[in-house]
Amino acid sequence: MARYTLQRFVYMIITLFIIATLTFFLMKLLPGSPLQNQEKLTPEQKALILKEYGLDKPVPVQYIQYLGNLLKGDLGVSFQYDNRPVAELISDRIGPSAQLGFQAIVFGTIVGLILGIVAAIRHNHWEDYTATVIAVLGASIPSFVLGGFLQYFIAVKLQWLPVAFWEGFKYTILPTLALSVGVIASIARFMRTEMLEVLSSDYILTARAKGISQAGVIIKHAIRNSLIPVITILGPMTVNLMTGTLVIEKLFAVPGLGEQFVRSIELNDYPVIMGTTLFYSALLILAVFIVDVLYGVVDPRIRLAGGKK
Amino acid sequence: MMAKQQYEQLSPEWFQPAPPNVGEQEKINRPSLTFWQDAWLRLRENKAAIVGLVMIIILTLMAIIAPMASDRTYKDQNLRHAKLPPKIPVLEHIHWLPFDGRDANGVDVYKQRGVKEYYWFGTDDLGRDLWVRTWYGTRISLYIGLLAALIDLLIGIAYGGISGYYGGRVDNVMQRIIEILNGIPYLIMVILFILIFEPGIISITLAMVITGWTTMARIVRGQVLKLKNMEYVLAARTLGAPTSRLIFKHLIPNVIGPIIITTMFTIPSAIFTEAFLSFIGLGIRPPEASLGSLVNDGYKSIQTYPHLMIIPAVVISLLILSFNLVADGIRDALDPKMRK
Repeated sequence: MARYTLQRFVYMIITLFIIATLTFFLMKLLPGSPLQNQEKLTPEQKALILKEYGLDKPVPVQYIQYLGNLLKGDLGVSFQYDNRPVAELISDRIGPSAQLGFQAIVFGTIVGLILGIVAAIRHNHWEDYTATVIAVLGASIPSFVLGGFLQYFIAVKLQWLPVAFWEGFKYTILPTLALSVGVIASIARFMRTEMLEVLSSDYILTARAKGISQAGVIIKHAIRNSLIPVITILGPMTVNLMTGTLVIEKLFAVPGLGEQFVRSIELNDYPVIMGTTLFYSALLILAVFIVDVLYGVVDPRIRLAGGKK
Repeated sequence: MMAKQQYEQLSPEWFQPAPPNVGEQEKINRPSLTFWQDAWLRLRENKAAIVGLVMIIILTLMAIIAPMASDRTYKDQNLRHAKLPPKIPVLEHIHWLPFDGRDANGVDVYKQRGVKEYYWFGTDDLGRDLWVRTWYGTRISLYIGLLAALIDLLIGIAYGGISGYYGGRVDNVMQRIIEILNGIPYLIMVILFILIFEPGIISITLAMVITGWTTMARIVRGQVLKLKNMEYVLAARTLGAPTSRLIFKHLIPNVIGPIIITTMFTIPSAIFTEAFLSFIGLGIRPPEASLGSLVNDGYKSIQTYPHLMIIPAVVISLLILSFNLVADGIRDALDPKMRK
């Protein structure tokens, strides 16, 4: 187990390092510099500014410095937001995004699991068909379309909930709903397939033969065993949620990280774009790492296959 | 007594073994079905998949024909005709349909401004025809879908095939490369490309070329690893078949089912990704139109001109939905084990 975890950890570090390197050299390729629109400066002033940003040294030295700064959590300063450090901008904005993501995961997982389980138990009945239709629609309708429709019909037309902004729990309901539909769809689909497979296996037959009630079979034997593979989709789901928050926060004017990211793209604020990109990648890679290790803990076959090599 | 008499009537000749007559026994009464005919029979029974297939055909035809048949182009501006609601001949007389040329307040804008022409899907704030723009955007979505499928087929299969066939150290290195590529989210890749090149179709295409084929490569590798030790591969090798022939003639055709299924699921997700990128302003830039950017534009005036958002939103949802339905159907048809 330790060897497997270590192996995954090394991959994680390598991937992060490659992304950081790519980011750095792309930044070097960009046409912009802090000197833009400042032609009136004297050569001395220019040299001073370059020195302040550490741009007077050769590229390899800059690269080492950049990596060192990354380790300290220093992501540079923004062009647009009054030279504020990118790390500070990110930590200011992470709250609403994390709350939205968390609410969507909790709500989506609960609803998705219920849909999947009911669909599997009532296989080929109307409950199953309904759940399947919901799952297909949920997987097909883009979150930005769904968010727009929710906003138009529930907030603008019916005026049940606020249209946008971030001033309390009521304001989180629509964005959470729009974000969780994708989660519901993927979990329901996965759970249904797993559950159907488990329900047709021999040990379920044995359990039934021993006279355990339907509820007992479902709760004690079927659900618990179907849940294990569901862990694997947590990784891809994190990506989906991340891309989801980008558009949902833009739609509902939520002051989160995604909204700031989209705005900095519109404003060509490169340091913020790169910093947020790195932050997102790190988060994602960490999520994948945790899922891998967790899965190794739950299912011994995985870690044996992974660690043998 | 009766019974014994009956027995005596039975002649021993009746109990002769039947003649071998092999030809008669082996006769096939129905025409035999190839793999594809069998799959098509199963697919045909899947109503949802057929509906999806018909919708894809309709949408594709519209995307090809509509912009060509119209005398307006996707970038023609006519400020005097700006912000017109949809109006379609014949359908305009059915009042509960939103195609009567009236805006949100029930005013007939066409009459008010003296516009004689019909704009079937209305116009945007610059007076561009939404009908042409919507179908032009559908073209872009379809191009992206096709491109993703091609990349899957070309790069994914070759990479996975080579990795699985050679195994050992080659496989180990190739799999590590895939793992690292997978670790970099697609979105991040696109953003990196957009920073070097301009936002637009080229950046999306390049990012897809670099990251889009990894799932396919993994699936093909897994299958090839399983198949390469089969007897028929050994037989072909004994006869002196070169490696390329083994991979492309013997191994790949036997993996064709999973390949098609993976390709079919790649298409809707690629279409979604392009729409999403265009929606947040990273994809197609104006004056060009993509369904994602149209939804984003329409979104800005959702309260006064909801049709600007709703029409492209419905088209993109239908497009992704149809591809998902067909992909589900093909998976069930090609792989009966995975059927519900």
